[in-house]
Amino acid sequence: MSRPSDLIQGTLDLLILKTVSIEPQHGWAIAKRIEQVSRDVLQVTQGALYPALHRLEQQGWLRAEWRASETGREAKFYALTRAGRAQLERELAQWERLSNAVGLVIRSELGAS
Amino acid sequence: MRRWLDIARLRLRSLLRRRRVEEELDKELRFHLDRQTEEYAAAGMARDEARNAALRTLGGLTFIEEQCRDMRRTNWIENCWSDLHYALRSLGKSPGFAAVIVLTLALSIGANSAIFSVIHGVLLRHLPYTQQDRIVRFFLSNANFPKFPVNPFDFLDFRARNRSFGSMAIMSRSDLQLSGLGVPQRLTGFRVSAGYFRVLGMRPLRGREFDTSDEMPGKQHVAIVSEPLWRSRFAGDPNILGRKIFLEGLPYTIVGVMPAEMQHPGNEYRPVAYGNTVDVWWPFTFEGNPNQRGSHYTEGIGRLKPDVSPEKAREEMNAIMAQLGREHPGDVGWRVLVVPLYREIVGASQRMLLVLLGAVGLVLLIACANVANLLLARATSRRREMAVRLALGASRERLIRQMLTESALIAVVGAAAGAGIAIFGVQALVAMLPAGFPRAHEIHVNLAMFAFTLATALATGMLFGLVPALQASRIDPQQNLREGARGATASAGHLRLRNCLVVSEVGLACVLLIGAGLMLRSFVNLLRTDPGFRPEHVFTAAISLPEESYKSGTQMIAFYDKAVDSLSALPSVKAAGLGSDVPWTGYDDNLGGFAIEGKQPRPNQEFHARYHTATPDYFRALGIPLVRGRFFTPADDLKAPAVLIVNRAMSERYWPGENVVGKRVNFDDPPKDSEWVTIAGVVGDVKDTPEKPAAEPAFWWPLRQTPFGFPQMMITIRAASDPAPLVASVRDAVHRLDPSIAVADVHLMDSIADASVSTPRFTLFLVGLFACLAITLAAIGTYGVISYSVNQRTHEFGMRAALGAQPWDVLRLVLGQGLRLAVGGMLIGVACALVLGRVLRSLLYEVSATDPLTFALVPLAALAVALLACYLPARRATRTDPAVALRTE
Repeated sequence: MSRPSDLIQGTLDLLILKTVSIEPQHGWAIAKRIEQVSRDVLQVTQGALYPALHRLEQQGWLRAEWRASETGREAKFYALTRAGRAQLERELAQWERLSNAVGLVIRSELGAS
Repeated sequence: MRRWLDIARLRLRSLLRRRRVEEELDKELRFHLDRQTEEYAAAGMARDEARNAALRTLGGLTFIEEQCRDMRRTNWIENCWSDLHYALRSLGKSPGFAAVIVLTLALSIGANSAIFSVIHGVLLRHLPYTQQDRIVRFFLSNANFPKFPVNPFDFLDFRARNRSFGSMAIMSRSDLQLSGLGVPQRLTGFRVSAGYFRVLGMRPLRGREFDTSDEMPGKQHVAIVSEPLWRSRFAGDPNILGRKIFLEGLPYTIVGVMPAEMQHPGNEYRPVAYGNTVDVWWPFTFEGNPNQRGSHYTEGIGRLKPDVSPEKAREEMNAIMAQLGREHPGDVGWRVLVVPLYREIVGASQRMLLVLLGAVGLVLLIACANVANLLLARATSRRREMAVRLALGASRERLIRQMLTESALIAVVGAAAGAGIAIFGVQALVAMLPAGFPRAHEIHVNLAMFAFTLATALATGMLFGLVPALQASRIDPQQNLREGARGATASAGHLRLRNCLVVSEVGLACVLLIGAGLMLRSFVNLLRTDPGFRPEHVFTAAISLPEESYKSGTQMIAFYDKAVDSLSALPSVKAAGLGSDVPWTGYDDNLGGFAIEGKQPRPNQEFHARYHTATPDYFRALGIPLVRGRFFTPADDLKAPAVLIVNRAMSERYWPGENVVGKRVNFDDPPKDSEWVTIAGVVGDVKDTPEKPAAEPAFWWPLRQTPFGFPQMMITIRAASDPAPLVASVRDAVHRLDPSIAVADVHLMDSIADASVSTPRFTLFLVGLFACLAITLAAIGTYGVISYSVNQRTHEFGMRAALGAQPWDVLRLVLGQGLRLAVGGMLIGVACALVLGRVLRSLLYEVSATDPLTFALVPLAALAVALLACYLPARRATRTDPAVALRTE
């Protein structure tokens, strides 16, 4: 079982925004989706997922809606808002910068040794 | 934009539809749990096992719910609400405790707010004049007379030569008698030069103010009346302008009405207090010889130009004064004093009010210490509760916030009660204020006071709440839960903190008690001071002869003779006299210069003294004792040799060690041989006001020999018993002699004497009250700590008793503990009082600010109170039953 520190701080937000940008999803599906797409490398802590969803909703990036899920039971679906899409762009750019930078450092160290 | 609307909607929803939001949260998490369980079940787990595994992946349902709630950002409001709820419940559980705390705070906050209202009205509020900070008063000053009136012709030169003032004016009190409208009425009046109202920034409600043409002598008489007079005596006559009224029997044309907002700025000589106190103004006319610079009787007021400081104005005025000194011998040796009007009006009361504020602030500090102490005691007994809450997962910040909420609640309830006390307090204070206290009518219960109360309450809440809150948050749940079985015990640090609080409470109370002690001694000294006259059964009243019917001195003397005769003939009158002044009613710095036979004055130190006039029985009526020689007799008239009565101060100043009776002075310059005046008697001294260090030199002419007419005179009557019933017959007697003369300003001398000490009495009363409050609070604090410690040591005392300790030993043990705290506080208090005493110096009369008697006795009294507070718990300690004490373990 992964713990919150296993995901780089702030990445969870990015993953959630990206996941719901494809289509509105409920919490459980978001967690499953992240795990599947990442081929089980990224295990979303379910303990961290809901507070993050609620935070993103409260910040106006996500809008929630109750509707019937695939099993027919009502579930809370989260969708990206306009502001949320812009936020996703920003976070993606941020992530690109960060991972490029990390990549540069790692590669240069490899080259040196 | 859309995003912010979303956010606002969500926040509101979380607040207002809380249950719905909670249900949704629950539903959402349950959905997740069920899906997860299904997944595990599908993977082959047993139903129960799958459920448990799903729960584990979520990692604590309550915890997640709490975190989700945190995301709503409205939590703090909800937390505050529940904290408040909890605080109310837990205070409600110990109503006695809550009552003591709330009462303590209510009294101290209420007292602070009431004093603040007075300070707000008197010191903080702007004067009603436009750009009040540019208005200054100016006086002359020299070594003998630090604050002296201005000569009118000097004023004309000031006005013509200065560049610092935008406008300047002089005023001189000159009451007038209004007649021709029913009963004659004495009006409080001022003669003012042109532009006087412009200096104050006041415009007439109707008509105009005086201009320089009104200053010319011999023009027709004009006057400006106040709006209240216009409304009361002239029924608000719309055609008031141009109407003729009779003042002093002469026709005056009314040229203006000043609005009710026109506050008299207060004055120094024959003072009229600041406020709505003047009825009529009439022009000051510059008559006589402009080279005559010796008589000083007008008071200056001016408005500085922008960017001119009072200091710069003073420099320029001094330069002009020096020029004048070169031009006129009478102007040699004077300097000019320029005082901002604000300071002139409130300066004298400022120190006293700040001392009161300091005193009441100390009370508030003591109250805070006391409440902190009580809360600490309570915190100790609540340690177990706190430990349980910590163990159950409450964060320390949450506990601190909880404790602070409780403190804030206490403070706010205390403040609400305090505001109630303050509302009554302000009314009581205003009623108690000494007569003539500046701006007393501007003291009101207002928004500023409530704002102050609220701010004080919150500040005190934080102050007394923080200590117990931090203490509580340092609790170690493990240790406390283990100890819990044995009953809560305080740590050493905790006890030390409480001891510190008690020591500072006793110390602060000591400071206040010493202050009150010094003021009490000063007040007793004031009361013990021989006033120089005997005020019992004496009453005084003013009469003023209208100029129209009493043109010459002879006419006036004739009337006064008749008046004295008919007043003396009234039943139960023991002595009736007339005099130009009565003691302690303000004074006029009238200075008569004279020559003394056989003595040469030193340069710039001419002989002078205050001049008065009196009829033979004036001194007997007031009870001013004869020291040497004789009083006047009816035979001292113009046919008899000229005589004079001097006071002891004058005889000692100019004839030290000599017998002054028979010595001669001369009022002409240079002395004329025919005009020598012989001193017939010496009377005792009467100081200007009781707290003045010494009497000023003064002399009296017999009324029948006065060199000029005195149109205004004070009646002084000593009655055989209560003089009050006599007032009506005195009025009748005067009315029978001349119906146009009003008998005004009737005062019992007792009440004048009483009023003269009203300011120190007021200060003493309040400081004394605050000191009593302080020592009571300190006693409660000491009692609390000692009593608590006795409870803690029940076991020990039981053990001691079992081992054979006598009750006396236990008593000594407990009292010793209290004594150590009290002595510590006392020493700190005495040290602080030695430093702080200096601020009291100007308020004390014949007591040093480090008076050894006060500093010795007062701390002992504080000690005694502290010991008394320890005695009750100490006695309880001696009664410890060893068997019971040991069994409670």
